[in-house]
Amino acid sequence: MRYRAPAPEALLTAGLDTLTAVFHRPSGITHLLASPAPEILALLAEEALDADDLLARLAARFDLADANREALVARLDELVAAGLVEPA
Amino acid sequence: MRHVFSVRIGPIGFRVGSDWRAPIDALGELYRYYPSPNLPDFTVRLEATHWWRRWLRPSIRIAGDYTLPEAAPLPLAQGLLAAEMAMNLQLALGGRRFLLLHASCVERDGRALLMTGESGAGKSTLATMLAARGWRFMSDEFALIEPETGLVHPFPRLISLKNAAIAAAIAARPDAKLGPLLAGTPKGDIRHMVPDALAVGAMDEPALPALLLYPRYGFATEVRGVLPSESFVRLTQASTNYVALGETGFGALTRLVRETPAHAVDYPDGAAAIEQVEALWRTL
Amino acid sequence: MSDDMPVDGHNPAHAGPVEPADGAVASRRRILMLGAVTAGAVVSIRPALAQTAGSVMNCEIPVPDMGRAGSFIDPAGKVVPAGTKGAFAPAARPFKGEEVKRALAGTQLPGTTYESNRAYMSYIRRLQRGQGGFTCFASLQMPRG
Repeated sequence: MRYRAPAPEALLTAGLDTLTAVFHRPSGITHLLASPAPEILALLAEEALDADDLLARLAARFDLADANREALVARLDELVAAGLVEPA
Repeated sequence: MRHVFSVRIGPIGFRVGSDWRAPIDALGELYRYYPSPNLPDFTVRLEATHWWRRWLRPSIRIAGDYTLPEAAPLPLAQGLLAAEMAMNLQLALGGRRFLLLHASCVERDGRALLMTGESGAGKSTLATMLAARGWRFMSDEFALIEPETGLVHPFPRLISLKNAAIAAAIAARPDAKLGPLLAGTPKGDIRHMVPDALAVGAMDEPALPALLLYPRYGFATEVRGVLPSESFVRLTQASTNYVALGETGFGALTRLVRETPAHAVDYPDGAAAIEQVEALWRTL
Repeated sequence: MSDDMPVDGHNPAHAGPVEPADGAVASRRRILMLGAVTAGAVVSIRPALAQTAGSVMNCEIPVPDMGRAGSFIDPAGKVVPAGTKGAFAPAARPFKGEEVKRALAGTQLPGTTYESNRAYMSYIRRLQRGQGGFTCFASLQMPRG
């Protein structure tokens, strides 16, 4: 199953020290994201990816200290529950 | 509505209609030196719950565009409180021009100090005490943040003092004009204090937010810095219309927290608080 | 709504540097932690109670407003003296925001006929700032809340 994030126009983002505030325009809901959620969102906005591909991309782009698929799926589940990511 | 009263408080105009004359007279007396609105933004009604209630144990149901259906009626003797609550409600729920924060606000040199926190944290009393020390009083309850500019606009309504704060405020400003003591209201003893002439005269002058404080009364003095992310969360809870404002609210609030330093201040008494405020202000 | 929100999704008001979400372009990759399975990285802002109370459910629009209580509404939505031929008596009770919202979408206001519904809706559409019911009606027009 692949995951997709909204197009950039659908979000307003503001970095606030350790957290990123995100306004999701279609729902009008504001979320606060801690790393790695903003980074995941950015990658999924570029392209819809499944968990394995996403993990690979993250590992390529970042120095991934704990490359754990289970943890990544937990993060994805949170983003889906918040309405920020949907199955593609 | 037999009796009508209109007033402008900062940028907000109100029109109050009432089935009784007494609350209108009381409002007119305390708001005597305030301007009238060109066009009211909000209308408020003080209504008899049933027609016979205009005379028999008269009680007031507050009404306007926004209502809280669970709200219990108030006795006529607490008409001033009813009017205050009604006006608050319309602004808090219907206000769209400004991001509204539950915060007191004072100004010095064009820069504003905003204090926000739970009821009883002391934000109103601190604002009154600072006003007595030469700061310009902007509001005891609502900070109006203009999204286009980030400036905070005054809302110098009658200061609503509760219980112990009544004596403290009178001690700070012994010459202030006061409304009647309303004892035994749902919020305890209440007395309204008219802001000083400087506050009323400068009600059209906004200020740039320069310091955000989260005061907490009744603890040993302690100050700690608060990060923008924490301020953001606190202020979404302290706002009555953040959600309703949508994107505009998001932009206004993120700007405010990023551009304004914030501190949490615990204090045992007013004097200690004032000292901390002045010390923090000097660090800006 | 403000016009100065750019459509590219980046924050308009950069007061300070923002960590780029796609990782720095520097020679060394930024460290990223996925975190424990049980940790949380997303918090949705829930409005404070006052804000939910301010929803459309709790606002009312009287027809006509209390300042003109007793007056009639003509078919075009104008307020006219009571008893005017062809005009409609005031609504028995204020309408709730939800009811007006549905009427805007095409249903009929409760307790009205086809004609009186049209008259009342015309009145409501003509509400101006400062008239009772205006802020309630204005809030119905916003895309959210």
